[in-house]
Amino acid sequence: MKWTPEDLQKYVQAKEYIDTAIIPVLGFQMNDEKKLEKEAFQREVLSIYTNEIEKELSGRLLLTPPYNYVKSNDMSGELNRLNDWIDHIKEQPFTSVFILTFDNQWKKNEKDLNAELLWFPSVQTGDIKSEETIRMIRNQVDQISELIRTYW
Amino acid sequence: MNDKKNKVSRRQFLNYSLTGLGGFMAAGVLIPNLRFAVDPVLKQASAGGDLVNVGLSEDDITEDPQRVDWDVEQVDGWYESDINRTAWVFKDENGDIQAFSPVCKHLGCFVTWEGSDDYPDEFFCPCHDGRYYKDGTNVPHTPPLAPLDVYEHKIENGMLFLGEPKPREGA
Ligand code: FES
Repeated sequence: MKWTPEDLQKYVQAKEYIDTAIIPVLGFQMNDEKKLEKEAFQREVLSIYTNEIEKELSGRLLLTPPYNYVKSNDMSGELNRLNDWIDHIKEQPFTSVFILTFDNQWKKNEKDLNAELLWFPSVQTGDIKSEETIRMIRNQVDQISELIRTYW
Repeated sequence: MNDKKNKVSRRQFLNYSLTGLGGFMAAGVLIPNLRFAVDPVLKQASAGGDLVNVGLSEDDITEDPQRVDWDVEQVDGWYESDINRTAWVFKDENGDIQAFSPVCKHLGCFVTWEGSDDYPDEFFCPCHDGRYYKDGTNVPHTPPLAPLDVYEHKIENGMLFLGEPKPREGA
């Protein structure tokens, strides 16, 4: 289920069937201009991942609003804030919460996260509509959905 | 003097803002008109009932359901976008082509042909173990309460064309 009025209405009615939440976790920064383009591209790719995964598994999975933050080397503040989100979501209850991100800072702090981390190594900037990118994304999506299913 | 100056600028300000507001309202009126004018053109290219070539030739359709993915252009309110569609396509025992929507009739996950080793020869939904026989009918006592939707289809020049998925009666 997506975070839209129609889907949330369905979610409320079928809550007992929906036990998995996905939080897209998206950092940004403006200091390093060389990285802007690449990071914006990753943002697009992540949103395609999450949309596709949602499509395959929508009956059991809720896609939450994305978590946005300013990238930095000190993650402690963000770690607390993200854990607050996760705890809040888990209260519903959700038995599995996944966070999806390209930022390796989360990987370093994985053990302090209250959710399962799905971290993706960064992808090269490219044409999001090219055959190659689409094939790469389809393949990744299949693998991620399969991984999520192993938690069920 | 000072007061007068002030007044003018105040009136000017009011004038500007009114013009601005007027412009804004005019835009509001224009947008629906524009959509009206553009819509019929866009519709031709969109999924509005037209069957599209999904890039699978009739000869390649076997008795084993295979997954087919294709794109259609869709205009949906504010958004005009490519949406991808998926179907499970095969020939049934009479040699007739079948194309089912993968969307589970329970809560909408994608079903997979023989998606579970425990249930060969069935479509399986990984979310809550929903099951469907090969003809798309839901297996009783599993969560789905209706059979899989069926795509309209036709064969033209040996290629498969698919249209909209249509619901059918429950089992
Ligand atoms: S969504 Fe398919 S069984 Fe629930």
